[in-house]
Amino acid sequence: MNKVLTAEAMLDQIPDGASITIGGSSLSRKPMALVRALARSGRKDLTLIVNVGGPEVDLLLGLGVVSKVIYAFVGFEVMGLAPNFRRARQGQIVEFEEWTEYTVMAGLDAAIKRVPFLPTRSGLATDVLKVNHAFRTMTDPFTGQQLVAVPAIHPDFALIHVNYADERGNGVILGDGHIDVLCAKAAKTTFMSCERLVHADELQRFGRDVQILRIHTQGVAEMPWGAHPTGCAPEYRADLKHLEEYMAAANDPAKWAVYQDSMVFVEHGQYLDRIGGREHLVSRLHV
Amino acid sequence: MEYSLDELMIATMAHQLKGEFLVSSVTAFGALAALVAQKTHAPELAVLATPESGMEVTPLPTLTLGQFLTDVQRGIPLTMEEIFDAIFCDLFRIWINPAQIDQFGNVNISSIGPWEKPKVALVGSRGIPEDTSHLSQIFYYILHHNTRSVVSQVDFRSGAGNGAERDQYLGRSGAPSLLVTDLGVFDFSGPGGSMAVVTLHPGVSPDEVRERTGFDLQVTDIIPHTTPPTAQELEIIRTADPLEVRKLELLAGEEASEKFVTIYERERQALHVAWPARGRH
Repeated sequence: MNKVLTAEAMLDQIPDGASITIGGSSLSRKPMALVRALARSGRKDLTLIVNVGGPEVDLLLGLGVVSKVIYAFVGFEVMGLAPNFRRARQGQIVEFEEWTEYTVMAGLDAAIKRVPFLPTRSGLATDVLKVNHAFRTMTDPFTGQQLVAVPAIHPDFALIHVNYADERGNGVILGDGHIDVLCAKAAKTTFMSCERLVHADELQRFGRDVQILRIHTQGVAEMPWGAHPTGCAPEYRADLKHLEEYMAAANDPAKWAVYQDSMVFVEHGQYLDRIGGREHLVSRLHV
Repeated sequence: MEYSLDELMIATMAHQLKGEFLVSSVTAFGALAALVAQKTHAPELAVLATPESGMEVTPLPTLTLGQFLTDVQRGIPLTMEEIFDAIFCDLFRIWINPAQIDQFGNVNISSIGPWEKPKVALVGSRGIPEDTSHLSQIFYYILHHNTRSVVSQVDFRSGAGNGAERDQYLGRSGAPSLLVTDLGVFDFSGPGGSMAVVTLHPGVSPDEVRERTGFDLQVTDIIPHTTPPTAQELEIIRTADPLEVRKLELLAGEEASEKFVTIYERERQALHVAWPARGRH
């Protein structure tokens, strides 16, 4: 079955109030082209679920379309704190629920395994248990030991970006995998963008790098440079210059309006032109 | 041989790493400490190129190229499940750089001020709770030892320190082992598992440590000095980090921005000079 869709056709399926888990990790392989399409779609009251979040969470918060964020981390790594995230956290504008890296994975895994929770020792004797009201502590019925019960996370949608995909929805990930496989399996509907659509025969040559299986995907779109301004190993690195401009814009209302108009409310091809065009991107970011 | 503060800290951090463990490379300091250890006293260490992957590679600190290192050196790609399984099995070591650490070794990367209404919202606890719930050794470093970073009590416990709660729920797992700062080396052998001075870096006075610590730290006037890095350790550090990414962590303001731009411009070239071979793909 051919699952090739435009980003717009994918977003037509996402309603207001949807919960969406997003793959990638901080400045690596975030599905930014799909996230920008989501940001300009007019959808609102979204719940975001991320393990290690970065520009994707920050952009959607900056557009005011988010009502809740489940996260273990949101930041710009070497670049510093995420400006819209910081403002929203400090202003208590939306609901934040702090999880941890493994517990986000465990919550998605519980959904996949069709169990209500998974037990872990992670987080014991920390304040995460005090501020995260989704968790419960429980007693191990065998040993009496104290454990944390991590509830299943059931995302309506997953958005991920991969290196190559075929039109049936298999996806190849060549750099670090992050938690994309868990996102794709746990979500009811998974939409995947890729650097390049390839024929099924070519895709199957990648063996175990075919990490996203088509039984979990409902839509695939070819979006070259679709992770920009985050990186997509082993092809291109994160665009720290663009992220610097983004951060400056996010801290100035006038500049932020301009950034939205020129970088978010444009379709992907125009976006690539705005950031200098493909040749320019190759020379600055290709590794 | 002359050395700088970053090199002294990295060599000191390296001395703590031994055995056959996965060692994460989240920061330049952590990556270089792991490399120095692996190339000197701890050849069995499995050093990663990124926070989650690239086993059996030689780290090259950069701003954006960790995963590319895995590719050009044909490192072993790992999954997040493998990383966390190694943590749960206590087969993982990491040098963590928290925003705050307190006298009992609790650490914070989540929030300055109350979590519900932060004065400064930091990044979120990330994987630190996993580390302190499962590892038998945890290492911390702080680059700017002052009364805001080395405090009486952290504003939020991202990672568990010593105290009744950890004894009850975690036993000795995750007990803080050591803290290296720009002033000295500290362990948690004081009363009730509190911080105690092990060594002071050459040129650092007991008074300076007292003044720059946010609680009443006992510092006697006779404290040994931190051992300076050897010529071999310095050579490993300088060869592995030709762009001096390690310096960036200690700089601020204009100087930091200039270095940042230079590193970003030159890092691809440095990668290709060091490993001219094509990657796996």
